[in-house]
Amino acid sequence: MNKVLIKNGTLILPQSKRTIEADVLIDDGVIVQIEPGINDGKAERINASGYLVGPGFINLHVHFREPGEEKKEDLFSGSRAAVKGGFTSVLCMPNTRPPIDSPLLISYLLSRAREVGLVNVFSAATISLGLEGKAMTDLGLLINAGAKALSDDGKCVKDSRLLYLLMTYSRYFHLPIILHEEDIDIAGEGQVNEGSMAVKMGYRSLPKVAEDSMIARDLVLAHSTGATVHFTHLSTALSVKLIEWFQNQGAKVTADVTPHHLLLDDQSIIQYGSRAKVKPPLRDQTDIVALKEGIQRGVIGILASDHAPHTNEDKEGDFNEAAFGISNLEITVPLYVKALIDDQSISWLDFWKLLSFNPAQFLGLTKKGSLEIGMDADIAIIDPETHHEVKVNEFVSKGKNCPFDGWQLKGWPVTTIVNGKILMRHSKLEA
Amino acid sequence: MKWKHKHLLGIDQLSGEEIRFLLEKGNQYREWLEQSPKKLTRLSGYCLINLFFEASTRTRVSFEMAGKLLGMEVVNFTNELSSLNKGESFRDTVRTLARMKVDALVIRHRSSGIPLYISQFLPFHIINAGDGMREHPTQALLDLLTMKRDGIDFTRNTVAIIGDILHSRVARSLSIGLKKLGSQVIFSGPPTLIPKGIEVLEGQVVYPVEEAIRQADVVYLLRIQKERQEAGFFPSAKEYASFFGLKEKPKGPDGRWKKIMHPGPVNRGLEIDSSLVEKENSLIEEQVSCGLAIRMAVLETLILGGANG
Repeated sequence: MNKVLIKNGTLILPQSKRTIEADVLIDDGVIVQIEPGINDGKAERINASGYLVGPGFINLHVHFREPGEEKKEDLFSGSRAAVKGGFTSVLCMPNTRPPIDSPLLISYLLSRAREVGLVNVFSAATISLGLEGKAMTDLGLLINAGAKALSDDGKCVKDSRLLYLLMTYSRYFHLPIILHEEDIDIAGEGQVNEGSMAVKMGYRSLPKVAEDSMIARDLVLAHSTGATVHFTHLSTALSVKLIEWFQNQGAKVTADVTPHHLLLDDQSIIQYGSRAKVKPPLRDQTDIVALKEGIQRGVIGILASDHAPHTNEDKEGDFNEAAFGISNLEITVPLYVKALIDDQSISWLDFWKLLSFNPAQFLGLTKKGSLEIGMDADIAIIDPETHHEVKVNEFVSKGKNCPFDGWQLKGWPVTTIVNGKILMRHSKLEA
Repeated sequence: MKWKHKHLLGIDQLSGEEIRFLLEKGNQYREWLEQSPKKLTRLSGYCLINLFFEASTRTRVSFEMAGKLLGMEVVNFTNELSSLNKGESFRDTVRTLARMKVDALVIRHRSSGIPLYISQFLPFHIINAGDGMREHPTQALLDLLTMKRDGIDFTRNTVAIIGDILHSRVARSLSIGLKKLGSQVIFSGPPTLIPKGIEVLEGQVVYPVEEAIRQADVVYLLRIQKERQEAGFFPSAKEYASFFGLKEKPKGPDGRWKKIMHPGPVNRGLEIDSSLVEKENSLIEEQVSCGLAIRMAVLETLILGGANG
């Protein structure tokens, strides 16, 4: 297999908390040399001068919609969007049609992913059979078939006893549980954040208490059972406080956010309409500030996407009927640059830790998430300075449902290498 | 020895010395069972009533046979035929039976603590044949007798009890008995079926099951009730069999097969692979014979006060 030599980049090494100027040599899909001034006549050269080079980004929350909703996205279009976004590994949520709730289905999905063969596609399996929230899936057999986590994402697990038993049982298998938190009895048919916007627009509301009360319940369950529990797409200030308190008690709980919950508040509904309709709903400025502080303090250890592609038909027309979700995988990185680097909330080292090192640890990917000799050659190179306009109609994702169209962003991925293969070179997809 | 207990309510009330005494007597009866025809008159004229409020085959038949082999009059009483179904209270039913002037009563009931409760007002010997999730002392004694007869030295012995510890009176009685004889006890199984507070039984919880088996000399598998799956403690029979069931003969570092035990009835293919039940290292069938012997020993000891030992 051919060699690749990345020249003159600024290397971000999140595991050793260092930034160095050096070259990286890849051979046969593995990082074999990291030092300044490497020369290798047989290697294909990538000039990374002026760019940041780090381990490929790992996304803990994407919807690739396969099987069943290929109109919205499929493994191929989703994988290409990942490559464009600098993501070398993704974790697909299992709320497909049918849901990924059996070893047979997970085997099928992973074999489809190997066929597509672009980025590393991992999948969660559902917590409950058929996503019905009643009986737990065969999680041991699901792990053996390749599941990396459990989640009923898209739905909240309402049955406390199911979750209590699941958390207790999951300890045997060391499998993390990813929770979408929303008390549906409170949230009901809600559309937007509870507050002045909901009143003004006349939309039914999704109160913060629907999210916070479930997070509180499940923090208690996680602490009591000793399970590894991850709260995805946090949106409220109180949830950050609750999680931090339980983390300090020793609970094995972690959390992620999405870029849109850091960049938009509920006022965005006026400008963007249903393109800004998402679950959890966009909240207030006070929540945005609290989420950012949570990231700085390490309470929120992972930056994810909740990439939720939909067809235009799903998003058009009646706001109340429009689907929830934002397609953002290929701009997640520049969005986080805007949200967290531009205002100096975090450093580039932290950025890579939150987008690569920590998610790799979470998924137990020991050969990923670090730029080290012997690691898999999954690499993202980004241009930290040049601004480009977001053009949603140029998305390779099938989902064009995105409020960030026309935004000027910097920090775009320019080159993406997966297992030693160059899949995007100088902003051109080769996949 | 002079036997000081009127009842057998649990293993917890017995000392190590008393357990060893019953095992010795049980051992003698186990030897005696090999002859045919067999009939003793030691307890001739005494009357035994079997009071089973919960389904049971082997325990009830075992007590019935034990009584008859010792010459006792035995009456069986099962819940379906009782006046309890006519609205009579449990206390009244039991008091009515007391007026029949029997000598010993064997009781099984789904509520923990029932044998202790009735022992407080009934004038004859009470033998606990399993109460809820608390104790099943004759099961523990028969298990210990089986181990003893297999040549196991209790002071250098580790037993891994695997499966539904949470609901199991067998696990409780057996682990208590083993500790009193100096053995080590390990618990393993789905974490949902291993209760918080298990430290009180002085066993060690070891995960995964493979590691628990590796550390053990005897592998004791508990019966998994179908309703535990329905109640959500584990996802499916297939998953249980894959991760918590015994699939191959466990081998020790010295190359010898470890012994397999099970209180029965066995769910073949669930807690134990069907092919292992009748293998030469399985003590499962011998447990049944020891059950009869130990129940003879218990009846004789309680009624005659151990004098005949």
